[in-house]
Amino acid sequence: MKPVDAAVIGGGILGCFAARNLRRWSISTVLLEQAEDVCTGITRANSAIVYPGYDNKPGSRKGEMTVRGNAGFDTLCQELEVPFNRCGSVLVTYDGETLPRLWKKWEQGVQNGVPGLRLLTGGEAEAMEPMLKPGVKAALYAPSTGTVNPWQLGIAAFENAVKNGAIPLLKTAVTGMEKTESGYLLKTTGEDIFCKVVVNCAGLSADRVQELLFPPSVRLHWDGAEYLVLDKQAQKPGRIVFHQAQSCGKGITAIPCVEGNLLISGVRKPIAAPYATTPEGLRALYAQAMDLLPGLDLTQVIRSFGAVRPNPYRQTGESIHDFCIENPAPGFFSLMGIKTPGLTCANELGMYLAEQTAAYLGAERNPDFDPHRNAIPKTEDPEIVCQCEGITRSEILEAIRRGAATVDGVKRRVGSGMGACQGSRCSFAIEGLLEEVRHGAL
Amino acid sequence: MEHFDILVIGGGAAGIAAAKAAVEAGCHSVALVDRKPALGGVLLQCAHRGFGAGLTGREYAQTLLRDFPKEVRLFLGTTVLSVEETKIARLSGGRILSFEQLIYAAGCRELPVGALPIAGTRPKGVYTAGQMQERMNLSGVLPKGPVVILGSGDIGLILAAQLAARDISVTLVEQKDACGGLSRNRRCLEDYPIRLICSQTIEILRGEDTLEGCVLSGGEYLPCKTLLIAAGLRPDRALLADLGTQPWLHLCGNCNTIHPMVEGVTAEGTKVGIGAAITLRRRENAEETAGEWMRQTVPPPQSVPGSGAMPGSSEAPAR
Repeated sequence: MKPVDAAVIGGGILGCFAARNLRRWSISTVLLEQAEDVCTGITRANSAIVYPGYDNKPGSRKGEMTVRGNAGFDTLCQELEVPFNRCGSVLVTYDGETLPRLWKKWEQGVQNGVPGLRLLTGGEAEAMEPMLKPGVKAALYAPSTGTVNPWQLGIAAFENAVKNGAIPLLKTAVTGMEKTESGYLLKTTGEDIFCKVVVNCAGLSADRVQELLFPPSVRLHWDGAEYLVLDKQAQKPGRIVFHQAQSCGKGITAIPCVEGNLLISGVRKPIAAPYATTPEGLRALYAQAMDLLPGLDLTQVIRSFGAVRPNPYRQTGESIHDFCIENPAPGFFSLMGIKTPGLTCANELGMYLAEQTAAYLGAERNPDFDPHRNAIPKTEDPEIVCQCEGITRSEILEAIRRGAATVDGVKRRVGSGMGACQGSRCSFAIEGLLEEVRHGAL
Repeated sequence: MEHFDILVIGGGAAGIAAAKAAVEAGCHSVALVDRKPALGGVLLQCAHRGFGAGLTGREYAQTLLRDFPKEVRLFLGTTVLSVEETKIARLSGGRILSFEQLIYAAGCRELPVGALPIAGTRPKGVYTAGQMQERMNLSGVLPKGPVVILGSGDIGLILAAQLAARDISVTLVEQKDACGGLSRNRRCLEDYPIRLICSQTIEILRGEDTLEGCVLSGGEYLPCKTLLIAAGLRPDRALLADLGTQPWLHLCGNCNTIHPMVEGVTAEGTKVGIGAAITLRRRENAEETAGEWMRQTVPPPQSVPGSGAMPGSSEAPAR
């Protein structure tokens, strides 16, 4: 392969947005992903929240990027044709001890410029969300909070990056790295890649990728959370409900997703195995969900899953709270342990990396850059394959044409198998279509 | 937009019986919609005997369909996308039907693994029992063994027998203290080397990409390549979620209540089919009678005290 300007390592949502934004400049870009599809790691298991920006210290990268990223979400989702719902959120507290945390968040939000932020009395919060357990002491209302489907957004960014000339190299893992005169040589499970700039968006493995060439500086420790998904028919709050539980740490969160399902996110905790749930964790989550929203019908749960987050620590053991962007050598950038609010800031982080790369390379703007991506259109094909979600055969074939390689890949592109039966009525049919396409029958 | 007096949604035993009965009861404007390309519903994937007088599901469906009235307009391979309060149904492909009476016979769906409090990873190799039954009996593809089946009701037992007959190792895990299911289905436990573990459930799934095994609530680890969930059926009324009760809406079969035997489904379909036809007739009569009465009686109806026999009311006189 001929040398390129930039190699993005990792096809999660961050790598996809990095590649998309690099193409705003005349920077030839490859995107390397070790899996057979993009957005199959951390992006796949996420809270789907577009945060308002009151959780972060004023002046921090997180605080600034979150407020800016949030404000830009309508435009971003219009450009990429991804559904976005600015549903708003209430952060509720039930005990006096946690009230100072609420004031602090309100103050931070005001300083960060979060629009429309308002403190509510317990009564006002209960009137706003009647499903809440009575006894709310106080609440923080943020109208700018929203929800977006994380993998839909990541895949849209990927498609837009490719449309603008980024070259995807899937099933390609980086195994080694060398410094060359003009930049870097990446040894991969496929061909060698010569590039001037490396953009490391390797998620859970970002520390190990950087250490292929540089001495250890930041170490990622994984933790995770458990989630429940409820059927669309289940009663749900109208806004995202955050529970400010003890004076340290967050309680559970209830998220009415853009698709109409309710997502319940548990508290963050150490994990035994990535993406796995534990019996104790699920039991606790069921109990906490019923405690916060007593009217919840947990017989409507259709799925549970585990998520993983990388937490960055210095070699000294000190935890890094802000977004950690390492620059160990000229032309080498690493996103280290980007977790919440990474989804909100995905485009902002990609922009930042692209700007840094463009400045380093002295690159010109790409006059042909087109920010628009077309969603897979809904068709009136009589043949419905996914009964629950009403997904047609032609929509599924279009998802395959756009790169879905597995039943899961189709699901992430068109939403098949996300309904009440969780794919038990359509997954074999979709496997059949994948098989037919693979063998050139379609 | 096409109009039918009765629209039947679902072409399984309940829907077939309802459409037949409605025609026999005198309604000649009946349409039936089913998502599959052939009538029969879940019966078509049932290769085991136990339907009617020792028939397979497929044979039972053929018997039901033997004198299926030709007047019934069929929309097969077609999904109903929505039913609206204005008595119209939107079908896949863009067709819209209006109707007077709706017979909803959409059957039931299985509980997916995600609906159960089972922890661990989400590997490939976990299916619902009915999903695997359809795959085995209609496509001839067998699951990879060893197989664990969660739930020892009839569906679990029938699958276990079928797999064991093909020399696939099967373990049944049952939450209750004894095997569920009818005695004729329990016989497979004597005929084949099927292990039955009672008073336990599956707590954790192991395996990153594909299933490697499951941990039981008692702590035992069962290595397996396939897990089949036979943990229960739920009436499928997703289409009716926003409708509420309507005087023109009638449910029958497993979408109404889960029936242990197909005979119950067929009987309920027949009853509801006749009922819908009678409702239509009664109203026609009421309209006719009311019309005559209007012609004969002056002044107009509002001045008549206790006018109970209004069109459409249940007290309308029968012919």
